[in-house]
Amino acid sequence: MAVNGTNVEVVVECINGEGEEMKDSVKDLDGVGQCRDTQAMQNSMQSNCNGEDVSLAENDSAYATDSMRDLDSRSQDLSSTLTEESAQTLNSSGDFSETDDATQMNGFVRRQDPSKMDLSLNLQKIHLNANGGAGNEQELSNERAVGKFTDQAPPPKQSWLLRLFESKLFDISMAITYLYKSKEQGVQSYIGNKFFSFSDEDFDFYLPQIFNMYIHMNDVADAIHPFIVARCRASVDFSLHAAWLLSAYTSNGVTPKGRKQSRAAKLRKMILSEELKPKLNKKENVNLPSPSSPVSSPTRKTHQRSRSDASAAITTNSNGPLTLVRCASSSKISIGDLTSGRAFSSGCTCFDNSASVLNDLAGRPQRECVCNSPRLQPELEFVTALMAIGKRLQGLPTREARTNRLFAELAMLNLNLPARIWLPFDCLPANHHIVRITPNAAVVLNSKDKAPYLIYVEVLDCENKHTSPLPTKLLENTLRYTRSEENLPDCHLSDTPPGRFSVYSKNDHDDDCWSQEDDVILQYPQYQKSISSDSMSQVSHDSSTSDKEPVYIAAGDIRRRLSEHLHEPSKSFKRDPDDPSAAALKEPFDEKKKRIQEASPYGHLPNWHLLSVIIKCGDDLRQELLAYQILKQLQTVWQQEHIPLWVYPFHIVVTSSDSGMIEPIINAVSLHQIKKHSQMSLLNYFFKEFGGATTEEFLTAQRNFVQSCAAYCLVCYLLQVKDRHNGNILLDSVGHIIHIDFGFILSNSPRNLGFESSHFKLTHEFVEVMGGLGSDMFEYFKILMLQGFIAARKHMDKVLSVVEIMQTAQLPCFKQGASTVRAMRERFHMNLTEEQLQLMVENMVESSMHSLTTKIYDGFQYLTNGIL
Amino acid sequence: MGDSDVRKHTFLRQGSASKMPLREKIVQIYDVLFKGEDPSRDNPNFWEEFFLLKANVQYVEKELERLSADELLALKENINMLFYRCTLTLKEDYPIRIVNALQTLCALIRGIYRKNLSDHGFDVINILVGFDVAESQMQALIENLNNLIVGEQSVSLKNLCFKLLLILVTVTDNVSQNTILEYIMINSVFEAIIQILANPVSRQNHGYDAMLLLTILVNYRKYESVNPYIVKLSILDDELALTGLGYVISSAFKDFNRQFETKNEPGSGGLFSALTSMVGSMFVTENSDPEPVRASDAILLAMYEAVHLNRNFITVLTHNHTESTANPPVSPTKRTPLAVDATAQEVLPIDMSLESSSQPTNILVTFLRYCSIIMQDVKDEEKLGNGKLCMIILTCIGEDQYANSFLHDANMTFRVELYRAPMRHRKQTVDKNLPARPLACALLDLMVEFIMSHMMKNLPMDLYLRCLGIIHRILCYQKKCRVRLQYTWKQLWTALVSLLKYLLSNESSLLPKYNIFHLSNKVVRLFNLFITYGDTFLPSPSSYDELYYEIIRMHQVFDNLYSMALRQSTNGGEHKDSAANLTSNLVNIRAIVNHFTPKIDSWTAANSLSSLTSDQVLDVVRSNYDTLTLKLQDNLDQFERYSEKPAETAFFTQLVRSIISDVRHNIGLSNLQQQTVLQEFSSLS
Repeated sequence: MAVNGTNVEVVVECINGEGEEMKDSVKDLDGVGQCRDTQAMQNSMQSNCNGEDVSLAENDSAYATDSMRDLDSRSQDLSSTLTEESAQTLNSSGDFSETDDATQMNGFVRRQDPSKMDLSLNLQKIHLNANGGAGNEQELSNERAVGKFTDQAPPPKQSWLLRLFESKLFDISMAITYLYKSKEQGVQSYIGNKFFSFSDEDFDFYLPQIFNMYIHMNDVADAIHPFIVARCRASVDFSLHAAWLLSAYTSNGVTPKGRKQSRAAKLRKMILSEELKPKLNKKENVNLPSPSSPVSSPTRKTHQRSRSDASAAITTNSNGPLTLVRCASSSKISIGDLTSGRAFSSGCTCFDNSASVLNDLAGRPQRECVCNSPRLQPELEFVTALMAIGKRLQGLPTREARTNRLFAELAMLNLNLPARIWLPFDCLPANHHIVRITPNAAVVLNSKDKAPYLIYVEVLDCENKHTSPLPTKLLENTLRYTRSEENLPDCHLSDTPPGRFSVYSKNDHDDDCWSQEDDVILQYPQYQKSISSDSMSQVSHDSSTSDKEPVYIAAGDIRRRLSEHLHEPSKSFKRDPDDPSAAALKEPFDEKKKRIQEASPYGHLPNWHLLSVIIKCGDDLRQELLAYQILKQLQTVWQQEHIPLWVYPFHIVVTSSDSGMIEPIINAVSLHQIKKHSQMSLLNYFFKEFGGATTEEFLTAQRNFVQSCAAYCLVCYLLQVKDRHNGNILLDSVGHIIHIDFGFILSNSPRNLGFESSHFKLTHEFVEVMGGLGSDMFEYFKILMLQGFIAARKHMDKVLSVVEIMQTAQLPCFKQGASTVRAMRERFHMNLTEEQLQLMVENMVESSMHSLTTKIYDGFQYLTNGIL
Repeated sequence: MGDSDVRKHTFLRQGSASKMPLREKIVQIYDVLFKGEDPSRDNPNFWEEFFLLKANVQYVEKELERLSADELLALKENINMLFYRCTLTLKEDYPIRIVNALQTLCALIRGIYRKNLSDHGFDVINILVGFDVAESQMQALIENLNNLIVGEQSVSLKNLCFKLLLILVTVTDNVSQNTILEYIMINSVFEAIIQILANPVSRQNHGYDAMLLLTILVNYRKYESVNPYIVKLSILDDELALTGLGYVISSAFKDFNRQFETKNEPGSGGLFSALTSMVGSMFVTENSDPEPVRASDAILLAMYEAVHLNRNFITVLTHNHTESTANPPVSPTKRTPLAVDATAQEVLPIDMSLESSSQPTNILVTFLRYCSIIMQDVKDEEKLGNGKLCMIILTCIGEDQYANSFLHDANMTFRVELYRAPMRHRKQTVDKNLPARPLACALLDLMVEFIMSHMMKNLPMDLYLRCLGIIHRILCYQKKCRVRLQYTWKQLWTALVSLLKYLLSNESSLLPKYNIFHLSNKVVRLFNLFITYGDTFLPSPSSYDELYYEIIRMHQVFDNLYSMALRQSTNGGEHKDSAANLTSNLVNIRAIVNHFTPKIDSWTAANSLSSLTSDQVLDVVRSNYDTLTLKLQDNLDQFERYSEKPAETAFFTQLVRSIISDVRHNIGLSNLQQQTVLQEFSSLS
């Protein structure tokens, strides 16, 4: 909504610049019939003109033309004049309103017609608040604002652009675009400052673009540096992402060697060296104990159970030197050392002492960390450790060896948990501490030479991951743990001072800690439900020896129960040592969660959650990140336009140019795995999973399939996603398909064989699931595609700008240089009418369906990688 | 006397013209001390200088041995003083003095305890420390040792500390009679041991000693009083320390396995390999002891105590880990005096436990392989003890819920290379293409292997009972939790039937010595478990058919067993009750045999065949289930839980005794000399 409004503003500006043509433009608008309230519009423009000095300095016109160029691409007529341009813009901005275009125009002319302010009321209100008034006063304040940011007195001519920037419709997307396109220092620094007023969330979406510009465009870097530094100081997460992105986008050797460190490298170093901390009160700082002093540094794991103090009492012994020795060695060496058990501990104890636990319980805000220990290092070490595992797995020949190795490595990691670390995702809950990585739930994913793996991470959510006290360590199998304590003579735990024991004999004491009662824990709840059905073999009878009647059972019953059990329809895949991920991923996440929760020592805690993450090492995820951004943009567009297309942008965290993390898509398996394990066609698989062709479940699944398929067809076409074999297409538990692996998009394709010349992958099997050619759902599919196309076309800017800025990032998908973006722009076919577009979609569907190359590519994949 | 006077006045003067220039200065001082004189009286710096001199352990021990009991008693003052001074010196910063003080202490303790003074009616502690000050002195000693062990001291020095402690705990054959341990009970060294085990670097150097010390301390008056080490070990929840203990134990097992492998290279396969193995064995025998690899009781006992006492240790057993190949913890077989400076520790790779080259493994995997080697030979008393301890540990594991869930986890699969001794009827096969399976399969394989390979005249009855007990525990878990292990149960059934067959054919020789009915009962109980509860844990219906097939096929064995039991129970032999019990337990098996045999016979007749294929028999079985009724037997899924007291106390007391004499034997004088230590320190400023 905001963007559209902005376009209007741009137009206004252009019109002002061109003076005379303004009226034409309005007329033109009228002619197109998009705007009924032309007069109002005209008035508005005029009033704007009156309020300002109409003359435009060269600088400004440069911007204006810039923005026109930008808008140019959207024009339906390639030989666009300014008037048509504005028409088009208005057209597209008009489209967003549900009812009709006029409403939008009404919104636009709100200054003239207060009664029609409904649409942009909120914006307007904020606008007024921000400026403390309306009308002319507003402009005055604008000028003042500029004065703050530029050295010279602001020339009045800038104010048109300024009005745009000041406008509420000026959103982060535009800000980024202007930052990229503008060569003017004033504008850049203005936007740099403007960033402070955007929400962090909006801004963070564009982090890859921001840091790519920071690296490659010195002038931009100047402008945004203060903002970035401020954000780094304020947020650990931002610092981490900044450091990762900077390293990811600089690593291509862009900076010439031999010269002094690049600016980006310096910033990264500054972040990693923890120079960018929140500024502390000077006075407070003086009183702080230094981290090496025995007072503040931990002498043992701080998260130990208080009970275990008895066994860890060496440090609480009266012997002083001992304590000191431990101190000196522990905090320094252990971070990053997985064998130490404290690899992810920064040594900060500010939040784990009793006072802060009390604060936490009382809901009071935590005070700041004052011990000056590293803020970022624990998390960085954690990510490094995960990546190191991936590297080590790569050296192993078989999947089985990798799996075993992975389990071993994770057991090692677990020794160091819980710790003040978290998954660097936008996951729920956002604030959490990792307490355990379920060791035997991890899966090595299918990949030939790289060794990506999926881990399930158990977390406890908390108020604030940086300041909430850490959870205490719980050992596996807590039930037994408590019991073994109970069985011990009580006197030893309570009042004897640690390290000393009174010895007295107690002859009848049975120190055998095993006892029959332990058996109660054998009563697994999940097995009890079956008791009723075949109680015979479950309940053991304590009879026979004497008076009671012996119980008889029929051998046939036993045999029957056995075969019945095994013929229960099973939806799960069989375990396959060569493809461990298939069975693991097929298990519904909720079931898996429940299973893990039951087995986990932390599972009983109310704030327990299970998250999962894929660790990729040796793979460049920057392109995946770009794809994520585009998918996200498209998703927003389609949501805005109320088109029920369904995509699943999964989160990507890039930690370097060849490593990162991916949010796993839960409850989804690849088509390849489905074919391999179920040995049936996709449609039959749908029947098996969701029920017969007329069941509601199947119909829902079919609709989901169509909506997602249409969306991904568009995505595949627009982005030219290649390498579309069945291993890269997932099907989730409600019928959505989800494309993964965007390693080949835009201008590169696998080995450049040029195999997949079709626009997107649409096999006969897909069509079959939709109900076959000519079926209602298939028609719906094509309609969805068309609608989606039109919507995407309308918001092309948003999508394109994301891609355009990344051109300099030397990603393989920009192999063909500038033509890449141009080709992508062309794929939006701005020049086609809707009818033409519809025809084109039809053709694309038709040709993709009959595409020989898709079949060839699938065959090729089968031969080379065994992917069905 | 005159001589000694001269010495007394000159011994501290450097380069004095002594009449005996060949005697070490320290020896001269020892002589003075052993004469009951106080050399420090006129010399305030005496002790500082004394501890700078290299201690001569051998001489002190020899002198002490020479003294009569009364002479020793007369020297009490001096010995107490020496002890006091040594303890005091341990607090100092100067490592040379500490080393000498430690060595002097070692010599004193060993020398005095070796005198075996018990019949003289006075306590050794009095002579060594002095009754009045013993408590404070021992406290100070232990505290100082604790500090040295956990402090940043050199490896050799810490090594010496452990030596001293090990000497202290092994002075008597029966650990429970070692009264001086009361002081170590009061002043705990547990925390120091745990810290050593928890740290990967110190674990490498002292892990074995620490484990040994802990094991012996845990066994001090285990059955009569509350031992704080038992208490502390059982509540220990420091995961790192537990893991450390696991590492030490498993690498000791690994060493053993490796040594065994090199000794038992398969000699088959052509002249060349025979030649190379011969050449290889030449070198091997040169380096290591020629006797067959000895299993270490101490490690097994340590593992037992950990498994038995500490429940968290079970989780450690299940951890996958990667063994470090670079620096395995020092084990007794290749102990060399270490002379690593404390600063050198930092040079060691931090991430040593995860070497990329080695395959990850698991303590249980190593242990199972170890068991398979131990169990194949249980002929002599010592090996029998080892085998028994292995079985006991496996019993404890088989009883544990968590361990079982791990053993049966289909996600956690391993290749376990079990050792199979070559026998007359089979060649030694090395199956390199083992499938990775859940560990329960390997455990069952091990048990099957044991059953099949120990049917001998001198039947290891006890081990057989334990073996069947382990299988029973596993089956109970599977039944209770409805785990369907993908295992070829047929090999177990075959093994069980073979055992019965063996018992039957050797009835006359076995019956006088053993209660074979008790053993048979256990076997039949397993069959009953399969028959009545098979639906809860068998992997497929066909495996249930196969069970019946096996029983029908071997019906002769069961028939004979029944008649033998019937005979015994009616003619009132020694084992009348067991025999009677056996007859009633056989009811279902007999029912199956009696039910199906006529059916099969008639089917054969009807189809006019002379013999049936197994498929045909299975068909008959499948079609005749419904007319068969079985009797549900009670308590099939119950077992008596393992308890150390009172059944096993004698065994463990004896075991600890032998471990202690082993340890005492191994702390050689040469190890105490520690030339290297002094060299190392003398090079320091």
